[in-house]
Amino acid sequence: MTTGHEWNGIKELNTPVPRAVWFFLIVTVIFSIGYWVLMPAWPLGDSYTRGLLGSDQKEIVARRVEAAAEERAAWAQRIAAMDYAEVRADPALMAHVREDGHRLFGDNCAACHGMDATGNSGFPNLVDGDWLWGGSPDAIARTITVGVNSPVSKDTRVSQMMAFGKDGILTGEEVMATADYVKSLSDPGWAKGKAASVARGKGVFAANCVACHGPQGKGSQELGAPDLTDRNWIYGGDIDAIHATIENGRQGEMPAWEHRLSPADRKILVLYLLDRGEALKAGAAKGAPR
Amino acid sequence: MFGTHYRIERKSVILAVAIMIVASIGGLIEIAPLFTIDDTVETDPDMRVYTPLELAGRNIYIREGCYACHSQMIRTLQDEVERYGPYSLAVESKYDHPMLWGSKRTGPDLARIGGKYSDQWHTAHLTNPRDVVPQSIMPRYGWLGRAQLHTAHLGDDLRAMRAVGVPYTDAMIANAAADAVAQASPDDDTAGLVERYGEETQVRTFDGDRRTVSEMDALVAYLQILGKLSKAAEQPAKAVAAAATAPAAAEGGQARP
Amino acid sequence: MSERQRGLIVLAVLAFIGLAMAVAGAGRGDPLQAHGYIVLLFSIGIGCVLLKGYFAPEPPATRLDSYYDDPSKVGIVLAMGWAVFGMFVGDWVAWLLAFPDLTFDAAWSSFGRLRPAHTTGVIFGFGGNALIATSFHVMQRTARARMPDQFSPWFVLIGYNLFCLLAVSGYFLGITQSKEYAEPEWYADIWLVIVWVTYLLLYLRTLARRKEPHIYVANWYYLAFILVVAILHVVNNLAVPASFAGAKSYSAFAGVQDAMTQWWYGHNAVAFFLTAGFLGMLYYYLPKRAERPIYSYRMSIIGFWGITFFYMWAGSHHLHYTALPQWVQTLGMTFSVMLIVPSWIAAANALLTLNGAWHKVRDDATLRFMMMAAIFYGLSTFEGSFMAIRSVNSLSHYTDWTIGHVHAGAMGWVALITFGSIYALVPWLWKRERMYSPALVEVHFWLALAGTLVYVFAMWNSGIIQGLMWRTYSDSGTLTYSFLDSMVAMHPYYVARAVGGLLFLIGAVVGCYNIWMTIRRPSGAEATADTPLPATMQPAE
Ligand code: HEC
Ligand code: HEC
Ligand code: HEC
Ligand code: HEM
Ligand code: HEM
Ligand SMILES: [Ca+2]
Ligand SMILES: [Ca+2]
Ligand SMILES: [Cu+2]
Repeated sequence: MTTGHEWNGIKELNTPVPRAVWFFLIVTVIFSIGYWVLMPAWPLGDSYTRGLLGSDQKEIVARRVEAAAEERAAWAQRIAAMDYAEVRADPALMAHVREDGHRLFGDNCAACHGMDATGNSGFPNLVDGDWLWGGSPDAIARTITVGVNSPVSKDTRVSQMMAFGKDGILTGEEVMATADYVKSLSDPGWAKGKAASVARGKGVFAANCVACHGPQGKGSQELGAPDLTDRNWIYGGDIDAIHATIENGRQGEMPAWEHRLSPADRKILVLYLLDRGEALKAGAAKGAPR
Repeated sequence: MFGTHYRIERKSVILAVAIMIVASIGGLIEIAPLFTIDDTVETDPDMRVYTPLELAGRNIYIREGCYACHSQMIRTLQDEVERYGPYSLAVESKYDHPMLWGSKRTGPDLARIGGKYSDQWHTAHLTNPRDVVPQSIMPRYGWLGRAQLHTAHLGDDLRAMRAVGVPYTDAMIANAAADAVAQASPDDDTAGLVERYGEETQVRTFDGDRRTVSEMDALVAYLQILGKLSKAAEQPAKAVAAAATAPAAAEGGQARP
Repeated sequence: MSERQRGLIVLAVLAFIGLAMAVAGAGRGDPLQAHGYIVLLFSIGIGCVLLKGYFAPEPPATRLDSYYDDPSKVGIVLAMGWAVFGMFVGDWVAWLLAFPDLTFDAAWSSFGRLRPAHTTGVIFGFGGNALIATSFHVMQRTARARMPDQFSPWFVLIGYNLFCLLAVSGYFLGITQSKEYAEPEWYADIWLVIVWVTYLLLYLRTLARRKEPHIYVANWYYLAFILVVAILHVVNNLAVPASFAGAKSYSAFAGVQDAMTQWWYGHNAVAFFLTAGFLGMLYYYLPKRAERPIYSYRMSIIGFWGITFFYMWAGSHHLHYTALPQWVQTLGMTFSVMLIVPSWIAAANALLTLNGAWHKVRDDATLRFMMMAAIFYGLSTFEGSFMAIRSVNSLSHYTDWTIGHVHAGAMGWVALITFGSIYALVPWLWKRERMYSPALVEVHFWLALAGTLVYVFAMWNSGIIQGLMWRTYSDSGTLTYSFLDSMVAMHPYYVARAVGGLLFLIGAVVGCYNIWMTIRRPSGAEATADTPLPATMQPAE
């Protein structure tokens, strides 16, 4: 049964529209009408129909978020109220810390400190037990809250490693010699054949660096000046990196999280880091919770 | 019904007109009211405009196709609010010609990235993401640090933005190029810039190099302002701003990014 | 004025505009300069081709007794060229997401610039040329009339390819408006309007000359494609240039209004570029190849008007849960759900047309391409309507699930129907008995199908895993995974996708070879009675 037309050989049957088509059309239209009645749907000039359910996605999510926080409150409030040692002694709470901490750290801190918190060039390792600003929970919490050299926090920690070479405080030769000396602090083999330079550097160091890094180069947690005698480096321990630090200075910036993370979240991060550090030390990092 | 059609399909012009009418209805009803219904866009009298440097950065963001991987639209969903911060409001992009809400998150949402990381980090990350995030699949943008920013014609850009409705003043347009340079040169005189764009204008050596104003400066300045043009989304009453792990902790921080 | 003279004048004007753009751009140090040179060289190049035949004698008047198919032939070759380019870039981009350093350390070759080169290359380069080439062929055949002149089809085809060239070269140069699928800047947009109006007029003029009283359904679809794309293009691209001597412009709308306009455009670019036009193709080449009548004229009518009406409301499903007011989201969702019905009517009408020809589907890979395309069309529209439901979209949006859906539609539907139609069309146009190698058509079919399936399954997996990881909550009631966790988890799927894309690309290259060899082979077939001269005249309008 064709319509009687032909286009370059193509004909059309005049088959009636199958019942199923009308059926599904009606079903979807009824569904839609129902949805329009219940939900915000049709514009009316300067307003719109609100729907019988009065649904508002903004209110819904606000309620959801609030309810979720309340649900977490059971353990989160305990963490907030207890002191660090108590929480760490409570395996149930620490399980929450590990679960939440992993995500909090991954979304906020991993970009700089690495997904496993072992740091990266320019960003310190947070699980090696070696702390720039002190390893007490309160010191760590403070670093996270106010940051280091943060341009937004008024109470930020300030860390200034001057540009001794670039700013002309030391001559190029002195910078080189000091770098040799600093390198030799953690790598005694380095002094071999460079005794003169290292000795010279020792003098320069005593005159310029001890104020922050201390007479033995052990650093100062007050000033955030790193220990130069161990093998934990922020910017790398090769001679070029050390030279670059003395030449150009360093002002590593750690953002302040006081406006982005709640106190509870910051506390969880501190606990998470201490826990990870310990787990690592215990050689159990591999099996640490994901 | 089929009979009527039998006649319409004999007349090409009528068919064409019918198609245009039938096809226009949906768009008219959905788009036109967005200009007339008041609560479509929240009001924020304190909303500020992009500085010339930030606008230049935004244009680089567009040019490099960052929107192909990054959204700038936090949806009204619990997980998004808890991960990225307060959901995005319409007012926050009211000066965005065009909007950059995006449609794909190969990388994370950037609507609230401003202030989250340091300038240093952004510069290192854009130069080679794998230097700072070894697992990253984001492309390298090393040339941004090497390319000098073209500031000479920024006044034209501000003027075009004003033509489409952004309240740039004559003084802003006249000083566009100078303001762009000033924002990346904290040692220079920045009083004019701050007067025109407000106390909170971020004046820094974004790429760490004081001598030149590079495209990296502009892009980082733009990234650092994302989510900060308007504070409307942080108003606690508005919704979720105060959410935190524990409700008791709410006063201290805004959101859970 | 002869058509050759007209052509030369248009090219001279264009060359002058190119020169002006180059000079103006150079003055500002603007990338517009490079585009000026491209326009200039393009006009000179085409001008040389024109001049080569300029003094040849005019073709005999008898040519007016036959259809004018040369633009279709060139269009098909261009479509296949763009296909290989676009899919090569697509696969490159796919590998980049698995191994981000597989590129040059240069601006032009970074992901954000290559990706729009892929989408524009395949949608506008490959799809658009295929649509223009087939629409010229179909409208003449179903109107039983030769096109009214020879200048306009060439202007449309060449002008359109200039637009594509400006678009793609623009991304490499860093020229883009960032509006997905409408990225080219203001001057390219204006140029496309001129080309498109010519296209519309050409179509209407040919229809006006038709010797069939009724307009065939394929033409409804092609007409809707041309008309609606014109409306969408003009509205979404409204913008104010920063300077007429520069490429940069600022779109007229901002924020939420811009978002809605963009996705009204974006969704209907899918609807009228990637669907309506290709349904026109389906409605001609499938019944023709199967030699079966269309299953139901009435279903054609409901399908067509349903698609034309419902689609235009659906764009807001790209903006669920965003700052777009919820009432618009409701409309977008409900109309998307209703849209499944006309979409499936169109798909079912095509598949039921194959009733009585299933043995041909089994034996003939060309017809199988078309059949498989109709199936993927049904599948991707079902998926689309499903994803348009708000709660589903809350999971799928921003993830690779969307990418999977896109490529079920783009590879499974758009590319397969195009390959099928081209395999049917090439022997007809070049008057060959058949394709050079039916076996290679068969090879292409299986490569394309396998590639599509691998791609789409990989993206369904990665998309759903990604979406779930983003919203998984631990027993503590906190989010379980960081974004980086989800990014790392995508790696194997990205590799699989890139392999699937490679299969698909190889298939397209095989197709090019086959088409090339078909064209080169001497004409064996008798010229069939493929002319507009009818046996019996029927009055037109
Ligand atoms: C933009 C990069 C960046 C991000 C993001 C970042 N940090 Fe830091 N962080 C640093 C830098 C740089 C330092 C070293 C500062 C210095 O020089 O003293 C640092 C130091 C620290 C310290 C002090 C280490 C010590 O040895 O005393 C802690 C603790 C810390 N970060 C924790 C975090 C936590 C927790 C987060 C996430 C909420 C985080 N960081 C996010 C860059 C970052
Ligand atoms: C005003 C205090 C101060 C003085 C004086 C100072 N430093 Fe530092 N130094 C710091 C701080 C703070 C850091 C950490 C900077 C950072 O993390 O960005 C640092 C970092 C370093 C580092 C990099 C350590 C690493 O782990 O990568 C080296 C090497 C170093 N200083 C050597 C010296 C030498 C040599 C001198 C003297 C010539 C010196 N410092 C003088 C404060 C000081
Ligand atoms: C191929 C996709 C891709 C492109 C293109 C891309 N990015 Fe990214 N981006 C990512 C991924 C994946 C991450 C997460 C891993 C990381 O931090 O590097 C990311 C992370 C980021 C971050 C850190 C976000 C956070 O919250 O940790 C910023 C900022 C950023 N990108 C900015 C940009 C800018 C600016 C551009 C354009 C110049 C750009 N991206 C282009 C994929 C991309
Ligand atoms: C060889 C075959 C192909 C490969 C390997 C391929 C690969 C890709 C890749 C990797 C992306 C980016 C996805 C992302 O950003 O995560 C993409 C996007 C896209 N491709 Fe393809 N593609 C192919 C074929 C096609 C075809 C034939 C079409 C259309 C006719 C097409 C249309 C698109 C579109 C529209 C997008 C953008 C999707 C979005 O923004 O949501 N692709 N493709
Ligand atoms: C009934 C028909 C269809 C409906 C209702 C539909 C619906 C959808 C939905 C809900 C999305 C996801 C939007 C988001 O979350 O961002 C989408 C994306 C997309 N669809 Fe469809 N779809 C349909 C058919 C098709 C077809 C046939 C194609 C053919 C190629 C196609 C191509 C695309 C593309 C390219 C995108 C990605 C847009 C972007 O984000 O860049 N769709 N579609
Ligand atoms: Ca997209
Ligand atoms: Ca455009
Ligand atoms: Cu859509």
